[in-house]
Amino acid sequence: MSLFRKSPKSPQEVSKALKDALTALERSDKKAEKVSGKAQEDTSKSLTQIKTMLYGTSDSEPQDIVLAQLAHEFYNSNMLLLLIHNLHRIDFEGKKDVAQIFNNILRRQIGIRSPTVEYICTKPEILFTLMKGYEHQDIALHCGTMLRECARYEALTRIILYSDDFYNFFKYVEVSTFDIASDAFSTFKELLTKHKMLCAEFLEQNYDRVFTQYEHLLNSENYVTRRQSLKLLGELLLDRHNFSVMKRYISNPDNLKLMMIMLKEKSRNIQFEAFHVFKVFVANPDKPRPILEILLRNQDKLVEFLTRFHTDRSEDEQFNDEKAYLIKQIKELKPLPPDQ
Amino acid sequence: MERDLPSDRFMELDAGDDDALLIQRIDSNEIIYCPPKRKYKLVGKYVMGDKLGEGSYGKVKECLDSTTLQRRAIKIMKRKTLRRIPNGDQNVQREIRLLRRLRHHNVISLYDVYHNEAKGKIYMVMEFCVTGLQEMLDRSKDKKLPIWQANKYFVQLVEGLEYLHSRGVVHKDIKPGNLLLTSDNMLKISDFGVAEQLDVLAGKDEITTSQGSPLFQPPEVAGGARVFSGFKVDVWSAGCTLYNLTSGKYPFEGENMFRLFENICEKPLVMPEELDPVLKTLLEGMLRKEPSERLSLNLVKSHDWCCKKHPRTEEEVSLGGDDDRHSISIVPYLRSNYYDSESEEELFTEHQLNESRNQAECKSEMSGTDLQETRGAHTKRRRRKPTSCISVKSITSCKQS
Repeated sequence: MSLFRKSPKSPQEVSKALKDALTALERSDKKAEKVSGKAQEDTSKSLTQIKTMLYGTSDSEPQDIVLAQLAHEFYNSNMLLLLIHNLHRIDFEGKKDVAQIFNNILRRQIGIRSPTVEYICTKPEILFTLMKGYEHQDIALHCGTMLRECARYEALTRIILYSDDFYNFFKYVEVSTFDIASDAFSTFKELLTKHKMLCAEFLEQNYDRVFTQYEHLLNSENYVTRRQSLKLLGELLLDRHNFSVMKRYISNPDNLKLMMIMLKEKSRNIQFEAFHVFKVFVANPDKPRPILEILLRNQDKLVEFLTRFHTDRSEDEQFNDEKAYLIKQIKELKPLPPDQ
Repeated sequence: MERDLPSDRFMELDAGDDDALLIQRIDSNEIIYCPPKRKYKLVGKYVMGDKLGEGSYGKVKECLDSTTLQRRAIKIMKRKTLRRIPNGDQNVQREIRLLRRLRHHNVISLYDVYHNEAKGKIYMVMEFCVTGLQEMLDRSKDKKLPIWQANKYFVQLVEGLEYLHSRGVVHKDIKPGNLLLTSDNMLKISDFGVAEQLDVLAGKDEITTSQGSPLFQPPEVAGGARVFSGFKVDVWSAGCTLYNLTSGKYPFEGENMFRLFENICEKPLVMPEELDPVLKTLLEGMLRKEPSERLSLNLVKSHDWCCKKHPRTEEEVSLGGDDDRHSISIVPYLRSNYYDSESEEELFTEHQLNESRNQAECKSEMSGTDLQETRGAHTKRRRRKPTSCISVKSITSCKQS
């Protein structure tokens, strides 16, 4: 073999090398306090080689046969889970490579089949480990990227939504590190909005659990959390797929109270978002008695409040029409017959 | 029909000269033209550029956001014109209302709306698109797209429609002409003039009117049903669109509107032979006459044909960016504002103009492209001229000798 021209390694060889390097990395980390430099170097090298195989270089296109072999090796050796488990031990560039490799293998398609998606369905631990990634600062964003890629597939989203770990998101979106919290929020939003039918079914079945937790977000100390979650709430409720969830939400007087408090928030943005949820309570043609009672009790105050509400939005015709409609509706509310 | 002549297209005749009233023969060499003045004009914060197209509602120009330097398209409508179109004003207001609330990567974005009461004009600043599917079809061989390309666009159409439906918006006029494309191949659903916003609190998607293009109307509309499902109307039209993109034909035709509607209602669906069986099942499902049997958008989305990876076998129909048609037209306007000098003005004679015209024609014949191809994505009919407008500067030798 020529000394200068290294023959390109086969997918089998590279994945074996990567696996060995990762195992060494894991072992050295557990034994000593410090991560072995050699193992880390080997890992990065293998990752770069694999990335080249998957994405090709400027003068060589990736080959289908190599991709198939590589994917096969990855499934057989449980490589995806191994990579994610050891993600925090891999150096900075290597972490980015892992995310890219993961996403590429995930997108793999044969005809109408997505073999990696099918594979992950049998190994849901991969998804749970990715979610747990939000608890570790140094890998949170990489895991976020991979999770959102997973969220593109309905089958994987289903596993995530119906797992107990999903409810950790209510914690993650509020962590003190801003970039992690907002990354977690965008994943959270993706999971709840991407696959409409699935999400509607999930919200209906888990209404109480989800919305009890959701209320904490709306009452958060953190302005960004409050604002983002209120906006998402509006989007969820006004999505026609979630019609029955919306009907349920707007018949609960506590929710109405919360929205009325938010209408009076200091932030104009929050006021405006709250308006779009509040309007549905009022427009509801069959308002339950408790809702009517609240509206009636505050009838005059609400009319006065709405009349002076965001009067500078003169160019937004729809908003003004809606506001006028609400004022009219509230004005025309008839006192309830006494309770029997 | 009255038509506004561009103001810079009049002849400056020597007023004091009696001879000018006589009919004279002028040699084409003696008429001197100057290129159109590109006058810098701002609407709000937007620098106006060349016209992209013209439709029944008004014209569309390219413009530049002076604060962000982003390219935009601006739709300019006159109240006077709108009043002459049935429901014209109402449709524009509806489009503005709807677009304001919509935000999706497959739905055209509306950025700003201006009203100039003095001039009686409405300006809508929208996302800039380089072309539209209809234009690409017109340009392509056999008036159809390669399967993989049709798939790429159709999947985006379904995504955009799913979003619209989730927001309770029924588009009612889905067709290739209303599907625009940006330079990075993103499909944008546009033209919400006849769209309808459903009541948030109504559980059903019942609608009572549809005024979309006849070729794309479903049997329940053609047959005059009183109430029907709005979402299924869009599914039908999207099915006709897919049929059209992949075969170059329409599922139902007729020599007049009456025959067309009769055929839509009664004639059985005939599939183009050459299509593959998976695509046929999708089309068949989307074009079922009975709305309740027609596929829901969700089923369309998860249909094998949509999920399948289609090999790139045939050559792509390009967005048409091979000449200067996609280059930004704002620069001369900016130049005229910041570096204005009369001396730079180029003058040329009719003879030279004809020469350049002939040259351009020869070139286009050789390359096989139509010189009169439409340029902008925002309209169907628009002729391109070597110079967009011309004015006769002065007639040097028009006195009788």
